[in-house]
Amino acid sequence: MKMKKSLLLLLFSLLLSSILVACSDDSDTSSSTDEGGDDASSETNSGDGSEDAYDISIMTTSHSPEPPGNDSPVVEAIGEFTNTNLDITFVPNSNYDERFNITLASGDLPSLILTGKTSSFINAVHDGAFWDLTDYLDDYENLSQMNDIVLNNISIDGKIYGIYRSRPLGRMGVTIRQDWLDNLGLETPTTIDEFYDVMYAFTHDDPDGNGQDDTLGTIVSEYEGPWDIMQTWFGVPNKWGVADDGTLYPHFQDPNYREALDFFKKMYDEGLVNEDFAVMDPAKWHDAFVNGEAGIIVDVVDAASRNQDQMIDADPSLEGTVDVFGAVEGPNGLYNLPTSGYSMMYAISKQAVETEEELHKVLQFMDDMSSEEGQTLAFNGIEGRHYEMEDGVYTPTTDQSLIYEHEDTNQLLTFVPEDRYLEKPLQELEEKEEEVLETNEEIVVGNPAEPFVSEIYSRQGEQLDNIILDAKIQYIVGQIDEAGLDEAEELWMNSGGKEYIEEINELYQATQ
Amino acid sequence: MTQLSMKSKKAKNDVVVSTSQLTNMQRILRDKWLYFLLIPGALYFILFKYLPMWGVLMAFQDYSPFRGFWSSDWVGFDHFINFFQNPDFIRLLRNTLILAFYDLIFFFPAPIIVALLLNEVRMQFFKRTIQTLVYVPHFMSWVIIASITYVFLTTSGGAVNAVVEFFTGEKINFLSSPDWFRPMIIAQVIWKETGWGTVIFLAALASVSAEQYEAAIMDGAGRFRRMWHVTLPALRSTIVILLILRLGNFLDQGFQQIYLMTNSLNRDVADVFDTYVYFVGITQGMFSYSTAVGLFKAVVGIILIYGADYFAKKMGQTGLF
Repeated sequence: MKMKKSLLLLLFSLLLSSILVACSDDSDTSSSTDEGGDDASSETNSGDGSEDAYDISIMTTSHSPEPPGNDSPVVEAIGEFTNTNLDITFVPNSNYDERFNITLASGDLPSLILTGKTSSFINAVHDGAFWDLTDYLDDYENLSQMNDIVLNNISIDGKIYGIYRSRPLGRMGVTIRQDWLDNLGLETPTTIDEFYDVMYAFTHDDPDGNGQDDTLGTIVSEYEGPWDIMQTWFGVPNKWGVADDGTLYPHFQDPNYREALDFFKKMYDEGLVNEDFAVMDPAKWHDAFVNGEAGIIVDVVDAASRNQDQMIDADPSLEGTVDVFGAVEGPNGLYNLPTSGYSMMYAISKQAVETEEELHKVLQFMDDMSSEEGQTLAFNGIEGRHYEMEDGVYTPTTDQSLIYEHEDTNQLLTFVPEDRYLEKPLQELEEKEEEVLETNEEIVVGNPAEPFVSEIYSRQGEQLDNIILDAKIQYIVGQIDEAGLDEAEELWMNSGGKEYIEEINELYQATQ
Repeated sequence: MTQLSMKSKKAKNDVVVSTSQLTNMQRILRDKWLYFLLIPGALYFILFKYLPMWGVLMAFQDYSPFRGFWSSDWVGFDHFINFFQNPDFIRLLRNTLILAFYDLIFFFPAPIIVALLLNEVRMQFFKRTIQTLVYVPHFMSWVIIASITYVFLTTSGGAVNAVVEFFTGEKINFLSSPDWFRPMIIAQVIWKETGWGTVIFLAALASVSAEQYEAAIMDGAGRFRRMWHVTLPALRSTIVILLILRLGNFLDQGFQQIYLMTNSLNRDVADVFDTYVYFVGITQGMFSYSTAVGLFKAVVGIILIYGADYFAKKMGQTGLF
């Protein structure tokens, strides 16, 4: 009897303790990281003996499978350079939006958080969660040089709530297999008709000369970007067009839109594009180009050299087989789709950064990161460890684990006002890419509604966008016809689109 | 273990004899170790199920994480009204209900059939092997199953389409066709969960005494007669209870699976309440609204579970409560 009781007691206490352990897990780890932070601060304090290092927590995206930890030598070096204690949370780019919203909901915000101009960010701004930086930026050497057009794009109700990460406006372009063109005796296309002919020849005329019908004109994935770029060539406005009477209308009401869709449908029907594009994983998208299955990819300009590097890795004889150009001419002229000039921005939380004095320190950190030393540290890593400099020639390490150790810290950089990190001497193709970026700036079509913040769009923008996108894809593969497109547009109108158009027009008129 | 059960048996006998003479306190004191064992489970439910339940109040607020729960504005039933008036509502309800019915018709009987088949297998080794093999898929994540499905069904080099093309000369776009979406989802569920579902039925079958079968054989019953008159009635109460429980989750479609199989071409039939809550709540940050949608689902679930229980009792079956 005694035995049994003590056995039961033992069992019970085991169960209970396991639950208690599980409950206390969170507090344990968080307190231990706090301690870690304190240790680091006392170390640096004793180290330089000047002003106390300031604690900055950051949440940002990561693109490599193993982002650096806070003990990475690069993160530590950045901390030393900026006199801060950094606590960086890297979130995989693919589910960043989700984590961002969950972090917002948790109410436990880091000092600096990377965000797009999304509805949840705008709502949070309206609730007073982030610092209005409009009047502070001028005090900083680099941050004061942000581009006015891009600032206008990121503004919310005319105020600036973040430090944007600068990207070239004319980044969209076409990557093409030059050797395939040569094999078939074709020229680089300059008009949409020629573009079609090249795709047709790439598909049917055995451009790789292996005697098999195993090539495609172009490859597209589930990501809708290529269609958006190509429809811009036709003269379709970038999200909003300006009518003759000065009002704004959504891009799909433009007459050129249907023309573009018919062209896409023809591409699909004739098999010039991969049949399974609507379900293709965007992560595998470029593989088909790299493996020589498709001869054209419509994406960003810098994809050309990235893809060529991969092709050369597999087969060195493929050097010089890739070319790049910006856009082809449509019936109404030469146009290209721009980016919004930035890729997300760093907002500063009022919760983690309570006083103006602290705000100053955070802004100073961002300003320092834009200096040459800051950019070099975050982009190139530490000299002697991640790269070598010999006679002014920069050679990065090829050790993958060392690359992972610093690769993602470049996500901290805003590149405002310009790129200041170290680069390898440009290859021929990369020089061509720079040229295309420049010429693109002259032909990009701006979005007149970019700076506006629509109440309706922030509530149901995703559903509205999906209606149009889905209809477009369905039309291309032949699931619906013209009448189906009309129906989708009507559904869009009745799902809040009508009010959305009115709202955007009100905002637009107010600025005219 | 045997000691324990003997002890509880003994305790039961005691109860029969002396229940009337014991006060509640005395009973608790007598069974104190059993109550002790109850604590971890009770704690789990209080901490992780009951306390977070206050969060549903968010559905009646215009919740903002920065103003916090206490200072967010109360809006009454606004979110529910918006939801029911939204053009998406009908589509979501239709998709969810159709999938739920398909699930009930095609998936629910599957484990029962497999259990019955396994029960007829004579060779123990064969039976065990099959049993293990069919419940392995349960342990795979939906991500893996979605990838497997993609590899098999894709029109560019998928095995299934190669066979289909060989026989009919045409490919079927399973992955992007709205017509194939529901069959594909149900087939995935059947493949993944049928084996796991048989476990409970096989356990129930193990308790059928061999005498009943022997008696049936003596009466000249064949295999199907035996299955009909002995095996199935033995399973009846288990089936009813599982059916009631399933109805409680009637509107749950397994978010991961649907989310992974959705694309531009089948979204029209693929959007269900679970994916809607995710899109609206997590990716668009409308916490209150999506809580309202989730709450609506839960209320429907409760109504269904009580309704099913009521009918089960009416029909003379044992219910849940």
